[in-house]
Amino acid sequence: MFGWEFPPAKTGGLGTHCYELVRNLGSKGVGVLLFVPKRSENVKNNLENVEIVEVGFDLSNPYARPDSAASEKSYGWNFFDEVETFNKECVATALDKDFDIIHCHDWMTIPAGIELKKKTGSPLIFTVHSTEYDRTISIHPCTNIINTEKKGIDEADRIITVSRNMKTQLLERYNAIEGKISVIYNGIDDSRFPGITEKSNRQLVLFLGRLTSQKGPSFFLQTAEKVLRKEPDVLFVIGGQGEKLPDLIREATDLGIMDRVLFTGYLREEELVRAYEMADVYVMPSVAEPFGISALEAIASGTPTIISKNAGVAERIRNCFKVDYWDTLEIANKIISVLRYDVLRDCMRRNALEELKDLGWCRVAEETIEVYGRAL
Amino acid sequence: MTSVCFYYQVHQPPRLSKFTVFSENIPYFDEEKNRKILQRVATKCYLPTNKILSDLIDDLGKQFRIAFSLTGTFVEQCRKYSPEVLQSFKRLADTGNVEFLGETYYHSLAGLFSMEEFGEQVELHRSLMKDLTGQKPKVFRNAEAMYSNDIARSIEHLGFTGIVAEGHEKILGWRSPNYLYRPEGCEKIVALLRNYRLSDDIGFRFSERRWAGYPLTADKYAEWLSASEGDCVNIFIDYETFGEHQWEDTGIFDFLEALPYEILKYENLDFRTPSEIISSYKPVGVIDVPDIVSWADIQRDASAWLGNDMQKYAFRRMAQLEELAKRNRDLLNVWRLLQTSDHFYYICTKWFADGDVHKYFNPYDSPYDAFINYMNVLQDLQGRLERSEAEVSAEPLLKEGVLLA
Repeated sequence: MFGWEFPPAKTGGLGTHCYELVRNLGSKGVGVLLFVPKRSENVKNNLENVEIVEVGFDLSNPYARPDSAASEKSYGWNFFDEVETFNKECVATALDKDFDIIHCHDWMTIPAGIELKKKTGSPLIFTVHSTEYDRTISIHPCTNIINTEKKGIDEADRIITVSRNMKTQLLERYNAIEGKISVIYNGIDDSRFPGITEKSNRQLVLFLGRLTSQKGPSFFLQTAEKVLRKEPDVLFVIGGQGEKLPDLIREATDLGIMDRVLFTGYLREEELVRAYEMADVYVMPSVAEPFGISALEAIASGTPTIISKNAGVAERIRNCFKVDYWDTLEIANKIISVLRYDVLRDCMRRNALEELKDLGWCRVAEETIEVYGRAL
Repeated sequence: MTSVCFYYQVHQPPRLSKFTVFSENIPYFDEEKNRKILQRVATKCYLPTNKILSDLIDDLGKQFRIAFSLTGTFVEQCRKYSPEVLQSFKRLADTGNVEFLGETYYHSLAGLFSMEEFGEQVELHRSLMKDLTGQKPKVFRNAEAMYSNDIARSIEHLGFTGIVAEGHEKILGWRSPNYLYRPEGCEKIVALLRNYRLSDDIGFRFSERRWAGYPLTADKYAEWLSASEGDCVNIFIDYETFGEHQWEDTGIFDFLEALPYEILKYENLDFRTPSEIISSYKPVGVIDVPDIVSWADIQRDASAWLGNDMQKYAFRRMAQLEELAKRNRDLLNVWRLLQTSDHFYYICTKWFADGDVHKYFNPYDSPYDAFINYMNVLQDLQGRLERSEAEVSAEPLLKEGVLLA
């Protein structure tokens, strides 16, 4: 298996997915050899049946775009070189190993998968966590990356998407063959989160995620301004980092709400859990969101959630609010209602938590094994 | 002789506008939506079904008898958007073969929070029916067939001779619904129990292909009725079953047209209205129902309307406005329109178990959205009630001020 992130290095759903997937595959007796780029912090591996191979040197983050004008150049040619080197080294190392299935995650690892399939004839599985269109919300998507994605989708024997929505995208934009695609929703390890706890009514509204256009932080600020018109004591917390931070600070200042907005910067795992727990509402106004594990994490922390209608997670969770990310007046209406009515908050978070019962990572591993079976 | 009693419940709720915490000076009720739905159901259900029943009465004369209850909210909407529907009900009333039952005017759960309010709504409905049909209802059916000893007693005080209840084991135990019963603590009124199996065969299962009884034909159904023991078989269903819940292409209209002829082929069957049943038969036992029993869901309780904390909270907040609302002539009607049971039904979170039905009739994305919308309207109404109260109490002071000057 070729991954891109592995704890402690993690910027999104892909990292969580890979970690939980190999852990659960391993505990089910499936041997996994996972290749990941070497990062400054070494991976910790105490997982059964899992061997981790770190390749190359300290690569950049694929999602961190150096400037806000996301043009092809902004990745830096250096970045593509690094990806290429990683893939080459992966192939070279993997050829000495013994395996039955090749499994890649997103475009950064697919060249290695394609090359290895050619050399060994083993079937190729391609999990698509997000596409270039998602990450750039279709503004200046990078053609190089799209071509790589397209090639992976064509060459893969089986494709896994994290939502039906993503499957539709692959059919429409990448001309994928429908019969190859299986939808496997992401999961949640709810033992890492506190569940229903007493809310002390701090009037705290939380946003968490990379500060990029894709995640819609600007809509969060516009919503905040509208909530504050009616409820001036509410505090809005923006957790995470990203290229949009300076713009967002400027926007909050222009809206005149900077004193009610708190930017936390990067949050460590335990800070993250605490933030979910402390919040009265979690808002995920993503413009594009193939899945959105963070919504499940908020629910597992006993917090009512308002999510973008088009998020993959919206296909799977019923007990939450589903909104158009641009409809900030409606999001504000919902936030105020959750803050005003404890019964609304409690009904929603109790019923939502109940829904997580069938959403463990164990299921993800089982469904993935099924896909392996069909590829062999 | 076993008497077959068909009773149809006719109702349309006043649907709310999209109302947010930011909404100001917009109407509470979505009249455009109400008009559209009413006119659609009129075309698909009310007009064609009334026509069929009217033709059956013309053809069969006195032997064919049926009963209706029309809620006040339904009648109000008809007056505005489909007067021809009311005309056709009037014509049915004029035949003398049709009985009209009593209801709460607003199809409300008033009986669950204020017997005074409940009584007022029952009276309002009674005079509406008198105006519309010339009949003063003698038999009462509460919204959603909500029944308890208290409600039965209160209905007895209001001068009714009968009350409708769900013929469920929760009320009857091992006993049959096909007899009249005496409500506990009552002397004058009797209870008619709905035969839910035979009623649901038409209402819910008619087009259900996996059901052993499918396809349900008129002769088959008449045979089941004929084989039923007891004095009366009470088939009580939503009128919207015809053409709306069961679409025309299921054959529901053909079934309705053929059924009376098939029933009258049996010598042991005849048709009677609820009042005729009450004057023909005697109660065979007592029913004792301390807690509310309704006709809904597996539980047959009030949980579809007042099951979760959001529903209870919204209901309590609404009920608390009673005194304020009753001092305000202009807004009393609005407050009462917010009592219609449907508003609380939309907030139901039971979907997952037996709730497909709930979801189908729910105009909101989720029960949470329904709750927010209802609370926003209620909050706005409360504000208006309080403001006008403040103005009223300020008035004498002003006058006094003028006098002093």
